Amino acid sequence: MDTGFLRVLLNPGRFFEARMQDEPSLKIPALIALAIGLIGVVPAVLMANITTAMLPAEMQGLGVLITIFSAAVAFIGGFLAWIIYGFVFYLVSMFFKGEGDLKRTVEFTGYGLLPQVFGGIIGTYFSYQLLSGLNVPPMTSPEQIAEFSESLVNILTTDPLAQIAGLASILFLIWSANIWVFGMKYARNLSTRDAALTVGIPVGLYILYTFITFAGWL
Amino acid sequence: MKPLYLAIITLLCAVTALAAPASAAAADIAVVSSSLDPPVLMKGDTGTLTVAIQNTGAETVAVRSARLYGSGVVPLSEPYPSVGEVGAGNSKTFTFTVRADGGEGTFYPVFVLDFRDGAGSLRYPVPVQVENTPLSASVVAKPDAFAAGRTAEITVRVGNPRPNAASGVQVIPQGTGFTATPTGGFIGGLEPDGSGTVVFNLTPAAETDVTFRVVWRNGINTHTTDLVLPVAFGEDKRQADPVITNVEVTPEPGGYRVVGDVMNAGLESARSVLVTPGAPATPVDPFRVYVVGTLDPDDISTFEVTFEADAGVEEVPLVVEYRDDDGNRYTATRMVGLGGTTAAPLNEREDEFPVIGLVVVVLVALGIAGAIYYSWKRT
Repeated sequence: MDTGFLRVLLNPGRFFEARMQDEPSLKIPALIALAIGLIGVVPAVLMANITTAMLPAEMQGLGVLITIFSAAVAFIGGFLAWIIYGFVFYLVSMFFKGEGDLKRTVEFTGYGLLPQVFGGIIGTYFSYQLLSGLNVPPMTSPEQIAEFSESLVNILTTDPLAQIAGLASILFLIWSANIWVFGMKYARNLSTRDAALTVGIPVGLYILYTFITFAGWL
Repeated sequence: MKPLYLAIITLLCAVTALAAPASAAAADIAVVSSSLDPPVLMKGDTGTLTVAIQNTGAETVAVRSARLYGSGVVPLSEPYPSVGEVGAGNSKTFTFTVRADGGEGTFYPVFVLDFRDGAGSLRYPVPVQVENTPLSASVVAKPDAFAAGRTAEITVRVGNPRPNAASGVQVIPQGTGFTATPTGGFIGGLEPDGSGTVVFNLTPAAETDVTFRVVWRNGINTHTTDLVLPVAFGEDKRQADPVITNVEVTPEPGGYRVVGDVMNAGLESARSVLVTPGAPATPVDPFRVYVVGTLDPDDISTFEVTFEADAGVEEVPLVVEYRDDDGNRYTATRMVGLGGTTAAPLNEREDEFPVIGLVVVVLVALGIAGAIYYSWKRT
């Protein structure tokens, strides 16, 4: 229970405390980001297929390019989220006079992304359920594509399955945030309160933004 | 005058002067009437010729035989070989069966009465009229167009242009690919220049020719006349004409919803009007079919149908089913385009609310809550 990934998930305080004894290493966090990126490729390809289906017949050749591009963006997305979160936590912790290496911060942020692997798998399942049942009629004009896209966004934000998927992603984000609190506490030598604020402020804002999006206020 | 003619005339006068005393009684026999049944024959007809004679003298006249002969109208019955005596003032009738073997016209078969005792004979040409003009039949009322399964009212008029009456006139529709009610119409006797009508309810199943056979009798002779009515299907100018307008296609989760108006632009009522999406669309609840009911001419009604369609389907047919007053079913189809609409329909899920997803999220929430609680507890 106290070793490996389970230790990160269930006892992150002890895990990070132990990691502080070693030199910072980004290898395992990179593997986690890689896994997240690979999982994210699946819904990205599904969306790319829908986008391709919307295109007129003469532009169907772009479908492969769109799929490759979407898969690449989703794959990089795991690393991008890792780096962005790491930098944001590093910057916010500076307000609380945090001390510690950026590399250590990024390393612990990467470990905190571990719940996102499970969240990604469940999210992929929900995405498949949602997108595989989508009928895309042939469209011949940009106006139709624009109207369809608008209608698609409306469905993806109002469908109960989409809302449940969003809720699941928030839950896993909260789990990650919990790990990050412990991570920032050790990586940036913060008090538990400051570490909670360092993580809670950006994550809370993100969760608020997500809620607002799903509520249709934006 | 030539001497030869004078000699002949003189000889005839002499013979007449010598024979006159001996045949004085025979000269009192006269044909008083003759009749034919039927009064006018057609070629090939058989009739009954009746000749009545009367002894107008004061003495009995002995008659040996009576017979009929002629060409064109020939006797079929045997002659009367032994007639006997006709008393003073008495009458006697002779009946012969005759047949018209010649063409049209008036024929004169000769009635011959032979007297006994060398009293000579009586010859009387009986006029017999033969005319082949048949009864005429015509369709005086029928619909503008026929349609399969639709009952049409056909009125047939039979006229008698013949100079004599026709009896037992009836009209019988014949042919295949239709049903008719009644199966035959009886008119009865038709006087000369008279006419009678029969109404049939004809229901064709396919394009065909309907033969109205007019059967009648001239005396004892049966004759027929055929009237052919071609039944070709076409569009009835008065029939109901449901038109779909004001169509609005709305994509929705699980399919499409189409609302619009259906109007009867015809001149007859459309009954039991139904609007339903046709293949390749698959009707789905709640409006698999929309029952409009009766649409009188110029009436309008809204309708609403819901259906699913596979991706790639650009247009689907809306089928309007309706019936006429006879219950015959008709359909009208109107294509509705889907390509021009902003459609993002989701396939209908078995359960509208994703209960399984909710259960998963609840379990995830409990697990995460437990993990977080555990992590803080171990700190």
